[in-house]
Amino acid sequence: MSVVDANRGGRRVVVTGMGAVCATGKSVDEFWSNAVNGVCGTEIRTIKANDGSQITVPVAQMDGFEPFAKELGRDLGRADDFSKFAAFAADQAVAASGLDFAEGDLGGRTATIMGTGIGGQSSLEDTYISMLCFEKRPHPLTILRLIPNAAASHLSIRYGLRGPAFAISSACASGAHAIGVAADLIRAGTSDAAVAGASEAIINKGALHAWKQMHILSDEFCRPFSKNRKGLIIGEGAGVLVLEEYERAKARGAEIHAEIVGFGMNADGKDMINPAVEGAAGAMKAALEGVRLPAGERIYVNAHGTGTLMNDPTETKAIRETLGAEADRISVSSTKAMHGHLLGAAGGVESVMSIKALQTGVIPPTINYDEPDPECDLDVTPNEARERPVNLAISNSFAFGGLNAVVAFGRV
Amino acid sequence: MAEIESALLEIIKENAVGLTGDPTRETAITDLGIDSFAVVEIIYEVEEKLGIEVPFNANENPLANMKTVGDLIDAVKDMSGQS
Repeated sequence: MSVVDANRGGRRVVVTGMGAVCATGKSVDEFWSNAVNGVCGTEIRTIKANDGSQITVPVAQMDGFEPFAKELGRDLGRADDFSKFAAFAADQAVAASGLDFAEGDLGGRTATIMGTGIGGQSSLEDTYISMLCFEKRPHPLTILRLIPNAAASHLSIRYGLRGPAFAISSACASGAHAIGVAADLIRAGTSDAAVAGASEAIINKGALHAWKQMHILSDEFCRPFSKNRKGLIIGEGAGVLVLEEYERAKARGAEIHAEIVGFGMNADGKDMINPAVEGAAGAMKAALEGVRLPAGERIYVNAHGTGTLMNDPTETKAIRETLGAEADRISVSSTKAMHGHLLGAAGGVESVMSIKALQTGVIPPTINYDEPDPECDLDVTPNEARERPVNLAISNSFAFGGLNAVVAFGRV
Repeated sequence: MAEIESALLEIIKENAVGLTGDPTRETAITDLGIDSFAVVEIIYEVEEKLGIEVPFNANENPLANMKTVGDLIDAVKDMSGQS
C-alpha cells in the first residue's frame, strides 16, 4: 500500500532499474544476497602506489573487476575507475529498465545526474607520482579522467542522454543528492526519466593516508552502533537507478521497483566535521513531508551509520526526533559494515539496498555488532537479517561539511 | 628517422579502431576511424616510447593537411626535429 498522501498531487517518480557494484557484489542480486547473508566485504590490505610505497589498512576493495572493465569499450577503457564503476552499474540499471533512449525524444528528456565525492583522484595521484618521482609527463587524457563530471558525461554519451547532465559533489551525501535532485527534475517536468546515482574509486595510497590522518578509520572491522566501534572503512563502487515519471512507466508496463516518496536536503551550517542532530533530523523530516507514515514496524531506515564515535549517536537522536515514539518499533541497519563506506557513492548503493528491503520484506543486518551502546539504542538489526514487511524505506546520508540528504522509498 | 616510423605504425595499429589489417604509409587517415584527439594520444605514446618531444598545438588541427599515414609520420618527424 502506498504511503503517498492521495491529496499530494503532482508528478510521481518511480524506480524502474537498479545497478550496483562494490566489494560485496557486481550485480544487484549478488549484492543483495550477500547483504541478507551478512557477508563482510572488508579486510586489511596493503595498497601500493606506483612509486612502490604502500599503506596497510582495512578496505572494502573490489576483486576481479578488470575483465568487466575491458567489456566497457574504448572510451571507458581509458577512463578513471570512478567512471568505469558508474558505467558498469548504469548498464545493469538501464538494461533492467527496458528503456530505449533512442525511441522518440526520450534521450532528450532524460537527465544524467551522478554523484562523486572526489572524482578521478586515483588518476591524479598516479599522474603526480609519475611526474614528481619519475619526471614523466601527464597523459593527454588526465583532465578528462579526473574531472568529477566524467562519469555523468560518459553515461550521457553511452546512452545518448541529452537532458540535464551534471555531477553532484557533496562528499558522503553525493549519491543521495544525485538521486533526489534527479527525482525533483522529473517531478518538476524538466525531465521524464533520469539515470541517477553515484560512484567512487579512491582506494589508493594518497587518499587512504589522508583519511588515516583524520584518525577515524577503523583498524579492524566497521562496527556501526556497537559500543566498541572504532570507525569507518573505505569502500569503492557505484550504485545507479533509472528513475521515471510514474504514468509513463505504468503506461509502458514497466516493472516498478519502488516510488521515491520523498527527498529532504539541508545543511547543518555549523561544523566541517561534527554532525548536528537538528540538521540530520531536519533532512529526514523534509523527506517525509507529505508521506503517510505507516506503523513503526513497517519502517526501515538504512542508516548513514558510519561506525564513527560521533555519527552513530547523533543519527540515533535524529531518528528519534523525526519518528518520535514510533522510533522504538522501526528497523534500522547500517550496511556499511559489509560493503564499506563508499563515500560519494554510499547513497547510490544504499538506495539499492533500501529498495531491496522494501521489495523483499527482509531487513539487511548491521554486522560486526557485539556490544550495545546506550547512546545508540534503536533496533539496529544486529548481525542477522530479519524478515519484516516494509512499507517505507528511508536512506540517510550525512556528509562532512554538514550536508544532509535523505531519500524515502515506498511501494506504488 | 626509421624509429619514429616503426613506432608510429605500431601505435596506430593499436589505436585505429576502424582499420582491418596493418597500416602502411599509404593508408588513408580517414580509414583509421580516429578523431583529432586520438592523434594527440598517438603522438604522446610515441613520445613516451622513444623519449622524444613533439611540440605541436592541437588547435592547429594536426589532421588538416594530412591524407595518409605517411603524411602523419612525416609531420611527426618534422615536428620532433628528426626528419
